[in-house]
Amino acid sequence: MRCGPLCQFLWLWLCLSYIQAVPIQKVQDDAKTLVKTIISRINDISHMQSVSSKHKVSGFDFIPRNPDLSFLKMDKTLAVYQEIIINLSSRNTGQISNDLENLRNLIRMLASSKGCPLPYTRGPEALRNLDGALKESVYSTEVVALSRLQRFLKEMLRQLDLGTMC
Amino acid sequence: MICQTFYVALLHCEFLYAIAALNLAYPVTPWRFKLSCLPSNKTDDYSFLPTGISNTSNSSGENEAVVEARFNSSGADSANLSEAAFHCCFWSEQDKNCPAHGDGTEGEGFVPTVGSSVFQRPGVNWNIQCWVKVDLKLLICSGQPLLQSPFTNSDLRVHLFYVLSEVVEDSHLAPQEGSFEIVQCNCSFEGRWECRVPTPAAQLSSTLLMYLKITAAGVTFQSPPMSVQPVNVVKPDPPLDLHMEITEDGNLNISWHSPALVPFPLQYQVKYSENSTAALREVDEMVSATALLVDNVLPGSSYEAQVRVKRLDGPGVWSDWSAPRVFTTQDVIYFPPKVLTSAGSNVSFHCIYKNGNTIVSSKEIVWWVNLAEEIPPSQYDVVSDHVSKVTFLNLKATKPRDEFTYDAVYCCQEHQCHHRYAELYVVDVNINISCETDGHLTKMTCRWSANPMQSLVGSSWQLRYHRSTLYCSDSPSIYPVSAPKDCHLQRDGFYECIFQPIFLLSGYTMWIRINHPLGSLDSPPTCVLPDSVVKPLPPSSVKAEITANIGLLKISWEKPVFPENKLQFQIRYGLSGKEIQWKKHEVDDAKSKSASVPVQDLCAVYAVQMRCRRLDGMGYWSNWSSPAYTAVTDVKVPVRGPEFWRRINGDVTKRERNITLLWRPLMKNDSLCSVRRYVVKHWTSHNGTWSEDAGNQTQLTFLWMEQAHTVTVLAINSIGASLENFNLTFSWPMSEVNIVQSLGAYPLNSSCVILSWILSASDYSLMYFIIEWKNLDEDDEIKWLRIPSNVKKYYIHDYFIPIEKYQFSLYPVFSEGVGKPKVINGFTKVDEKHQNDAGLYVIVPIIISSSVLLLGTLLISHQRMKKLFWEDVPNPKNCSWAQGLNFQKPETFEHLFTKHTGSVTFGPLLLEPETISEDISVDTAWKTKEDVEPATLVSLLVTVPDPEKGSVCASDRCDSPPFSDRGSTEVSWEDESLGQPSVKYATLVSNSKSSEAGEEQGLPDFSIGKGCSSGNSPLKDSFSNSSWEIETEAVFILSDQQPDMISPHLSFSEGLDELLELEGNFPEENQSEKSVYYLGVTSVKKRESGVFLTEESGVLCSFPPHCLFADIRILQDSCSHLVEKNFNLGTSGTKAFVSYMPQFQTCSTQTHKIMENKMCDLTV
Repeated sequence: MRCGPLCQFLWLWLCLSYIQAVPIQKVQDDAKTLVKTIISRINDISHMQSVSSKHKVSGFDFIPRNPDLSFLKMDKTLAVYQEIIINLSSRNTGQISNDLENLRNLIRMLASSKGCPLPYTRGPEALRNLDGALKESVYSTEVVALSRLQRFLKEMLRQLDLGTMC
Repeated sequence: MICQTFYVALLHCEFLYAIAALNLAYPVTPWRFKLSCLPSNKTDDYSFLPTGISNTSNSSGENEAVVEARFNSSGADSANLSEAAFHCCFWSEQDKNCPAHGDGTEGEGFVPTVGSSVFQRPGVNWNIQCWVKVDLKLLICSGQPLLQSPFTNSDLRVHLFYVLSEVVEDSHLAPQEGSFEIVQCNCSFEGRWECRVPTPAAQLSSTLLMYLKITAAGVTFQSPPMSVQPVNVVKPDPPLDLHMEITEDGNLNISWHSPALVPFPLQYQVKYSENSTAALREVDEMVSATALLVDNVLPGSSYEAQVRVKRLDGPGVWSDWSAPRVFTTQDVIYFPPKVLTSAGSNVSFHCIYKNGNTIVSSKEIVWWVNLAEEIPPSQYDVVSDHVSKVTFLNLKATKPRDEFTYDAVYCCQEHQCHHRYAELYVVDVNINISCETDGHLTKMTCRWSANPMQSLVGSSWQLRYHRSTLYCSDSPSIYPVSAPKDCHLQRDGFYECIFQPIFLLSGYTMWIRINHPLGSLDSPPTCVLPDSVVKPLPPSSVKAEITANIGLLKISWEKPVFPENKLQFQIRYGLSGKEIQWKKHEVDDAKSKSASVPVQDLCAVYAVQMRCRRLDGMGYWSNWSSPAYTAVTDVKVPVRGPEFWRRINGDVTKRERNITLLWRPLMKNDSLCSVRRYVVKHWTSHNGTWSEDAGNQTQLTFLWMEQAHTVTVLAINSIGASLENFNLTFSWPMSEVNIVQSLGAYPLNSSCVILSWILSASDYSLMYFIIEWKNLDEDDEIKWLRIPSNVKKYYIHDYFIPIEKYQFSLYPVFSEGVGKPKVINGFTKVDEKHQNDAGLYVIVPIIISSSVLLLGTLLISHQRMKKLFWEDVPNPKNCSWAQGLNFQKPETFEHLFTKHTGSVTFGPLLLEPETISEDISVDTAWKTKEDVEPATLVSLLVTVPDPEKGSVCASDRCDSPPFSDRGSTEVSWEDESLGQPSVKYATLVSNSKSSEAGEEQGLPDFSIGKGCSSGNSPLKDSFSNSSWEIETEAVFILSDQQPDMISPHLSFSEGLDELLELEGNFPEENQSEKSVYYLGVTSVKKRESGVFLTEESGVLCSFPPHCLFADIRILQDSCSHLVEKNFNLGTSGTKAFVSYMPQFQTCSTQTHKIMENKMCDLTV
């Protein structure tokens, strides 16, 4: 309990120190570029190119569906996706997970620049069903997770252009 | 000691407590204690002890046992021991109160203690120590007799009885004898014994109750009970790896390793001794660390150290001492003795130097490097009286010298250095780490070269990195927390490390850590952001084409998927071939997917490649894409139609003739880029216009019937027909129009002929010319060329055979029709003049310049002659031959004589005596021939003392060569008649090129030159002595203008010889009066050139044209002699004497010596 405020303060201090060194516009550009990069990475996965968007797959409620537009929700959603994707088996999922890590840090930095520092979010608890889903249907999990992530990132890209609120 | 005492006291208290709890058993101490058994007369109450044990205990905790010992009488050693009960007790040095068996009343339960004197009483004593080994599995109790053992090994038996306190507690009663376990102890010959009691690990804290039963020589000694907690008597193993070294600070570091498997903190006891020449000291120190620093180390000293260990807290047993270790310091101590550092850093060395038995004062110490370079004293520091310090600033990397990879640093006293040195290793750790992220943005490859560290033997290096969350800091630093990265050595000597997957926007701070036995070094850290070192994949789907109708090279491409940043592109293109000359084109528009560049050759195959990089300049250029090639297709309609000509077949006189049009296939540059077919268009006044498709043929025949027939040849490709085409009109009237006046063909070589022509004026509009040529000796086809109308000369390049005939025709082509050709057969012969044009251009200027030079020379000579003659003009009154001459206005030199010739007739010479004084002095001889030549005509110096009476005497420069040949021989004459009028006679000789003539005349022996060159003759000496003695004069006159003139040739040398012969015939007295010889020279031969050549001098003497020498008479007056025979007339057929006109008379009676060899009296 005592570490919480201290960690938040250290994180804010760290972010502010970076903000001083890195122009916020560059941070935003990098965030958008990184979003595009992740989208391209998902497109680059072979089995994702032929997935139809018309089908709806049930049983994956733990995978975020509707993106929230605030920095906080963005960060949390990205944390969920990062946790899911790191458990996937495709070739580029490790790299996408790293990209999501960088993207989360950029979002935090952007949020800090707008006066709404975000607490560091650890792995969500909502992924209790992930192990079961992975055991039962790895392919479906991967396709659904990556598809939803892609849609989320596109919406996030749009929001970054418009100006995201805390 | 206070602590120790406190601990002992505390321990004692605990023991007391335990003993109380365990019915006052003797607590075993970590140190040695003693068991003493003394004879006793009383058997105590052993109510507490197990059955069979007799013991008395008191409340004070003192322990003692009365042992019923019954000695056999046979025990020799114990003979003094009466057969009585023995009272045994434990005691130690710390507690010397052993409860003596007193005479107290039985049943009191107390045994009075006795003093130490009791131990002097006869009895048995053992030193006992109990400990637990460090493995905590065995409790060992050993004993050895204090005095010489009265028992032998054969009869000594020791048993240890023990029981754990838990067993005791469980019974809540005193342990019965049956609850004790027994172990038999090992006994040695010396009376020592050792008992091993297994101690379960879980019961280390339990109390072990024991007692001993020692049987020897039939007597049984039973010890009082003793209690021990195994954990309190652990005895560790002695410390390991005792090591001593001099530290960087100059201290002696004694270090060791603690024994393994010790479950509690330890303390150490170090004892060392220093043995130096100065002092001997022994120190015993307790430390808790595994090292001890000893300061004030002296060079040349030896240190011996030992260390033992014991439990730090609580009771414990000291381990045995480690094996002693001896360390001897050297005479010179460097600290640090070896240094590993990085380039650019500062390093200091200290030194203590003992020279002999004396430690050198630090002020006297000097420092050297590699025994080659003395370090400036400014880098020294005096630390103490004996410690000197040197500091190296901003070190440079050590350059390996063979196998020595360090610099040797010496500490010296003046110039005396100890052989020991310190080692300085300086490594350049400025290692450049370069990274590159691949085009998929998933892998970052970092490379670095280990070359700088290769020389550091025994070192290893490792890349370590720390990843920041985002970006790099401005000044990267080495993080305390870092991770190693495996790198693999590549063939190019670089190490390659791969990060995959990567965090694109995380800063990777990397550095190289060099590990060496002397320490580790870190290279300057570098922070790399993978996103900023991306080397993209090259653009894909690169296509190239030449755009139709526009004619540009168009390149299209697709950008790579990654990175998502804006990209710039670079295109390089060139004509496809082995060695492509690339041209580059930049495309900065990130959204562009195509670009067009103008190219020169639209019908060539171009190779195109592309590459890209981030528009912001970060990262690297991608590799070039695979080349794309353009295809050659029709780009535009042909630029023009083909050039064409005709061949007329059939009778020339007929009106209808077959005409075959000939044309050359269009080249790609004109056809853009191919020709599908050719079409011939016809225009005639009668039949109008029509076309004929010639297909791919390059000739077409048609019938020419009309007065005028115009044709055009079109080239057609896939896009259309050529727009600009040539027309050719065949017109009967125009075929008679001739505007070519002349035509010449001049071969330059076998591959080039120059054709030149001259045109006449014409009213027709000349479009161009057609040149036709063919080999008449062979049936070659006609070759033709179209020449612009403004050309007058044309170089035809073909293969021409000079010995064969060629026909060249030049057709003027008018817009109205083809004119009449000019035809020539064969090459035009060039006149020699023309052939030698080149030579002429060189020779003519030379001739002109030579002529100008000659003319100038003649003019100068002329002026000089005029001056010579007219300034030294003889008095006509006194000089008969000069009468009638106008000396004031001479026309020419010849005029002088011509005029005279006309006025004087030959006849008998009736000369009036005139006093003529001949003094001819040649002061200086011409030394060289060249000195003579510049003057065309040179006269000897003529002295005319009295102009009124003097006469003209021109000197002959023919004389000069002989004088010249004689070197500086001076011919002088003794002027004995000063003031006497005199006439000097000289020969006037024209200097011109006549050597050839002379040779041709075949008069080698009768030249005046030869006569002049009498230096080679015997006359020389006499001549040098007195020219007059020679008494010879050669006077001659030659004419070069009289064809019939007989040229006299006098061989003067021979003449002189003859004269010399004749000389002897003259009486001596006659020498006083010298005669003037009037010499006539008969003509020997005609000379065309009319010049006279001296044979040796080469000086040409010209003769006055008016000199008609028919005869030569030698007149002798009274003072002269006729030496007619002295003249050798050579080969002349006729011996004739030509008289000089006017004649000269002899000199006066006064004797004059005439030095001149030749005198020419030029007269008519």
